[in-house]
Amino acid sequence: MSLLHLIFLIFSFNLITFGNGPGMIPLLQEALVDQSGVLSIDQLLYAFAIARLTPGQANVYVASVGYFLFGIAGAVLATLVIQLPGYMMLPFMKFYERARSMAWIGRFTRGLTVASVGLIFAATLSIGLRTLTGPITWVVFAAALVMMIFLKRSQMLSLLLACLLGILLKALLPS
Amino acid sequence: MKTKPNSAPAPALPSANPPRRVSQRELFWIFLKAGLAFGGGLGILAVLEEEFVTRRQAISREEFLTYYGIGRIVPSGTMTALAVAYGYRLGGFWGTVIALTAMVIPAFVITVLLTMFYAVFKTTNLLDWLNVSVLPAALAMILAAALKLGRDIFRPSPELVLGAAAFAAVYFFDLNPALVLLAGGVLGILLLRGSPAEAES
Repeated sequence: MSLLHLIFLIFSFNLITFGNGPGMIPLLQEALVDQSGVLSIDQLLYAFAIARLTPGQANVYVASVGYFLFGIAGAVLATLVIQLPGYMMLPFMKFYERARSMAWIGRFTRGLTVASVGLIFAATLSIGLRTLTGPITWVVFAAALVMMIFLKRSQMLSLLLACLLGILLKALLPS
Repeated sequence: MKTKPNSAPAPALPSANPPRRVSQRELFWIFLKAGLAFGGGLGILAVLEEEFVTRRQAISREEFLTYYGIGRIVPSGTMTALAVAYGYRLGGFWGTVIALTAMVIPAFVITVLLTMFYAVFKTTNLLDWLNVSVLPAALAMILAAALKLGRDIFRPSPELVLGAAAFAAVYFFDLNPALVLLAGGVLGILLLRGSPAEAES
């Protein structure tokens, strides 16, 4: 497998899964582990675990796949190539800016934004169910929420204090 | 690009109120901060909402959500698409480069470091600690942002019904989000009265 081949695979997998990080895993497994055997399944699973450990976009773990196979050049190119499809936004924005004064476009985008809120809540709920797995996670979540919304503390400070609380509870309580 | 900020709205800056300008340096730091957010795409979205909509009022809530909706439809990572959208909206082409670069730096650096030390980290239980600290805290931030973004929908209205239907379609029936958004737009043409900002002006 050449670097160019890998980059092409990552580009097309990212495109057909709409940049959904976990969605790419079965495709990468098929191409890199099962068919060509250049990557071990342990390495792929490690790359996927990294996606949960790191902040930021969920699909940047392809940098890890790139690094395993081609070092830093593989990591940089893999990251670059998953960013490119974002530029497909520009024609949509141009159209939206030109057409937004038309009444029916206004009503279309109103429907779109309302549906967006619904989708954001659906995604929040599924992340929530995966995250809130035990009593400590509930305490940390509630503490951060109360500090942020009700006490109106700075967002960063609230998150930091809630994190410390969680670490403290885990260290002190017998598991 | 825009020489007379008080003249009629230029096509590049199409919001109802003249937006506060965001410098390239600010753009970089905001997207770097967003790239440091845990919780995947929604964590990033929460930071961008806080910085652009609530604090700086550089982008209206309506416009913010519109770009999110388009970003979900475009076959690209949604946050990648949003970095291009808000970067372009606030800083033209170079804005997109700055936003994308800044947003990806934290994840890239940490990912490469963790991969370099594959043999060491494979055996640690780092994830156990993140599970009880950063991840539930990030969830609170995400929920707070979602509540703010939905603020003008939470009252008895056709909007609330449509939003709830979109939620159910994706969460319970596993329908494709892009199709749900397009259906939301079409239903909006049939049932809704346009954005509140446009109704006022």
